[in-house]
Amino acid sequence: MKMYFFVLALFIAGAVLAQETKQDSLRVMNRLSYNNASKLTIGGYAQIDYNEPDGSTAGNFDVHRLVLLFGYKFTDKLSFLTEIELEHVKEVFVEQAFVNYSFNPKFNIKGGLMLIPMGIINEYHEPPTFYGVERPGLDHDIVPTTWRELGVGVSGNFSEISLRYQAYIFNGFVSYKDGEGTLRGKDGLRKGRQKGAEAVASSPNLSIKVDYYGILGLKLGLAGYFGSTQTDDSSIEGSTVGVSMIGFDARYIYRSLQLRGQYIYTGLSDTEAYNELTSSDLGSQMNGYYGEVAYDFLPLIAKKSTKNLVLFTRYEKYNTQSKMAGSMESNPAYDRSNITLGLDFKFVPGVAIKVDYQWFDNAEPANDLLNQFNAGIGIMF
Amino acid sequence: MKSFIILLFLPLFISMANIPVKIEKKIDKEVLSIFNIVDFSKELVLIDDALNITLPLKFNNNNFYKIVNRKNLIGYFYYGKALSKADVFDYVVIFDNELIVKKIKILAYREDYGGEIGSKRWLKQFNDLSTKDRVVYSKDIKGISGATISARSMTMTVNKLLESLTIIQENKAL
Repeated sequence: MKMYFFVLALFIAGAVLAQETKQDSLRVMNRLSYNNASKLTIGGYAQIDYNEPDGSTAGNFDVHRLVLLFGYKFTDKLSFLTEIELEHVKEVFVEQAFVNYSFNPKFNIKGGLMLIPMGIINEYHEPPTFYGVERPGLDHDIVPTTWRELGVGVSGNFSEISLRYQAYIFNGFVSYKDGEGTLRGKDGLRKGRQKGAEAVASSPNLSIKVDYYGILGLKLGLAGYFGSTQTDDSSIEGSTVGVSMIGFDARYIYRSLQLRGQYIYTGLSDTEAYNELTSSDLGSQMNGYYGEVAYDFLPLIAKKSTKNLVLFTRYEKYNTQSKMAGSMESNPAYDRSNITLGLDFKFVPGVAIKVDYQWFDNAEPANDLLNQFNAGIGIMF
Repeated sequence: MKSFIILLFLPLFISMANIPVKIEKKIDKEVLSIFNIVDFSKELVLIDDALNITLPLKFNNNNFYKIVNRKNLIGYFYYGKALSKADVFDYVVIFDNELIVKKIKILAYREDYGGEIGSKRWLKQFNDLSTKDRVVYSKDIKGISGATISARSMTMTVNKLLESLTIIQENKAL
């Protein structure tokens, strides 16, 4: 039997059952210890997926990620936040671990393992906050979500002018380690993420993001990331590349309609020497964008419902070899476009049941990419 | 010398029991800008314990005051704390003398995430609500991307406050 129907039946059953769940939607988002005097916060999120490529290929169930959040307030101003991630059940990572000293809402100092603010998903990656079972491809291959490194920085909100800012000095991607290159054409910088684990450090990187939220329902973000990759042997010429990434993102909510979009430009320098040294195929430019439209049509059916039933579609186009340095040709397989169409049902803001279908394509004249059906549960609390 | 020391500490004793001095100054500034009065006093409203238990938001923490100008009731304010992602933030809701919301201000926000709710434009959406009104997030109150937890938390808190005041009014406890 096609797994589709099984999963779809689960989805429908869930939707029916949901009518029975409690109205108080915020209960899920309330932490274990709602108590103003409490110093400890416990939270977390989980993404449980079912993926099935078209054709006779077998499907795949996976507890893709389970992340536990702990926050601790030492004083009114000094706090610590960490997220511990279990990926595919068996791999353990630390996703965030930083201390924050808040002088006032306008000025905070942070240090530790932190998320790089670039685009939307890297910072806001809890499954109920985005549509689709899987994160967008652009936020996998160009912005290597979940992208986090060790660093220090400042952040704050100027509520008078509706502006949020963040500025950090981070350790960068490692491009060369133990005599081998890590970066490649397929997914650019992704394999160079050090995630704060015995990270090689040879040159600091600058990361800045500014968000504007002065128009109700609209949020605009502009991010920049500049610097160089790291090498464990800086005497080897061509073992690092320069990185300049610029991202623009926009989110708009008007009643039941939600729009979001993102554009990322990445310029990489010295890739010709790097590719020669490591026999790699890293592009000198990686660009891409996506646009997404989502509409909650539950209010049309059940006016007073506090739940959401959202139909969404997303179009993505991105290329991890938009340009190549030297004589190397771009691989058309890396010039990708994806369409995702799906449904997202929320019992409460913290629990989403998702189903979608993805059409994958690239610039190869005859590609054998399989389209894919996905279903999943996203939870945050 | 003794009296000097006593004088020095006097402000500490006469300031509001539960509200930090810094926060109180901010509240005074808001009251001044809304009602255009410099000369006012704040009188603590005490709610009976038996009634307080039934309220969605608690009023027993020295957090609800009358604003009085030359014996005239000008308005009220409620000072409280609500949840952000991994912390709490402080807010004040200022009402006129008929308990219509005049202004909400975020007085202290301690974590980086969700600080967008301090936006004046966003908070303005709550102005003019009466105790009979309830608001629905993303319908009556526009959402803020990336600050959903705090924005929902503020919306829910306002509803609870309005509901509590309705109960207090019904019990003629003001």
